[in-house]
Amino acid sequence: MKLTGSSPEDTEAIGYKLGRLLKAGDVVGLYGDLGTGKTTMVKGIARAFGIGSRDVTSASFTIIAEYASSPPFYHIDLYRIERGSDLDDTGIWDCLGRESVAVIEWAERIGDELSRDFIKVFLTDLGDGRREIAIDGIHEEDWNNL
Amino acid sequence: MLILGIDTSCDDTSAAVVEDGKRIVSNIVSSQSDIHAKYGGIVPELASRRHLEMIMPVVDEALLAAGISLADVSAIAVCHGPGLIGSLLVGCSFAKAVCYARDIPLVAVNHLEGHILSPFLETPAPTFPYLSLVVSGGHTSLYIAEEYGKYAEIGRTRDDAAGEAYDKVSKLLGLGYPGGPVIDKLSEAGNPKAIDFPRAYLPETLDFSFSGLKTAVLNFLRKERGGQRTGSSSFILHPSSLLNDIAASFQAAVIDVLVRKTEWAIKKNRIRQIALSGGVAANSGLRKRMKEMGEDKGIGVFIPPVFLCTDNAAMIASAGYHHFLKNEIAGPDLNPRAYLQL
Repeated sequence: MKLTGSSPEDTEAIGYKLGRLLKAGDVVGLYGDLGTGKTTMVKGIARAFGIGSRDVTSASFTIIAEYASSPPFYHIDLYRIERGSDLDDTGIWDCLGRESVAVIEWAERIGDELSRDFIKVFLTDLGDGRREIAIDGIHEEDWNNL
Repeated sequence: MLILGIDTSCDDTSAAVVEDGKRIVSNIVSSQSDIHAKYGGIVPELASRRHLEMIMPVVDEALLAAGISLADVSAIAVCHGPGLIGSLLVGCSFAKAVCYARDIPLVAVNHLEGHILSPFLETPAPTFPYLSLVVSGGHTSLYIAEEYGKYAEIGRTRDDAAGEAYDKVSKLLGLGYPGGPVIDKLSEAGNPKAIDFPRAYLPETLDFSFSGLKTAVLNFLRKERGGQRTGSSSFILHPSSLLNDIAASFQAAVIDVLVRKTEWAIKKNRIRQIALSGGVAANSGLRKRMKEMGEDKGIGVFIPPVFLCTDNAAMIASAGYHHFLKNEIAGPDLNPRAYLQL
């Protein structure tokens, strides 16, 4: 499914809509360069779990930000992880699946095998503030029925 | 009265002995930056393992340097958040165990309170109320310190912390981690007006936003350097006047926002004193500009020396002293929290 947005507000709103489709155990991988709106999208997804927009900030520094929502929400940011072998040192595997919802920025850092079951969101800068947002792994009819 | 302070909130293992909340008797900081440099930042799991190795020798050294033993300590103050949970756990578990074994009172201190009160470790110290700008890799927040234990947050970053913007831009420029010192250094030789990077002033609030600035630097580099980029991270820039200009122009954009918003906060709250703390407060450009602004406006500016701006346990011991005076003692059920409100 391909969407386009023309502002950070659009990206946030698409994130919110996606968040409403998520259930415990889901993992969302966000793919896209610096400045394409990944953290903005996380703010939108987190809003669907009752987490305030101002409470979601970049997680690049801490790598993992945990929110005591129901279900628990993990905001993961792998920006600083350059090699696959370093992933195990981050502790992210303890956050994925089970009873929680996790959203991973820079999901490129995780290999194909391990990200097979992710819902994937690809963000592309189209210039002039416009973004293409392609979502893989959800049913278009669920999206349209929201 | 001597307080032993312990801080393991991020990547530095630190222990300090402070007398009466003011006089630093010893302050030991064991930095891990060499361990984390190859990752372009701190890796939480590695940090906690390193804390585990370092906590005992660092505390021993702090006591030794102070020429005292645990028997001379009135209380142990430990940072219980905010920070990396695995790192905080090491300091808290250690402090709880020592306090239990030696029957020493335990005091819990919020890391941000430590930063806010750090100017009291110097003379002259500010008097309440004062405005505190805490600016680091994990935080960029404005507080009004009304009295010991009473702080009102009036602004914070909505996305990246200022220190994080430094680290991200440093990575884009292939300058490594941490980004602050190297960009600060290059800035000295650059023209801060060479490139007009955007300043997100968010005039309706005292909140900050540094995410767009990093994107602007990326877009500038894309235009300037085209495809010469290694993977999704660094552009290849050799030492040059262009590199210096980018560093200086980026730094000017960060500092303009920090100083201007501090100025607004002073005006809005009719406050006459500012304190600066956190890792980015070590930045020479920011220190200079904040002092100039203070002189210009007739405002007292209190900036602790660099070793008290970056993470340290002396500020934890100092803040802990005031909790101890109020008999605010933590129990054995104290648990650290990665997100902890002041």
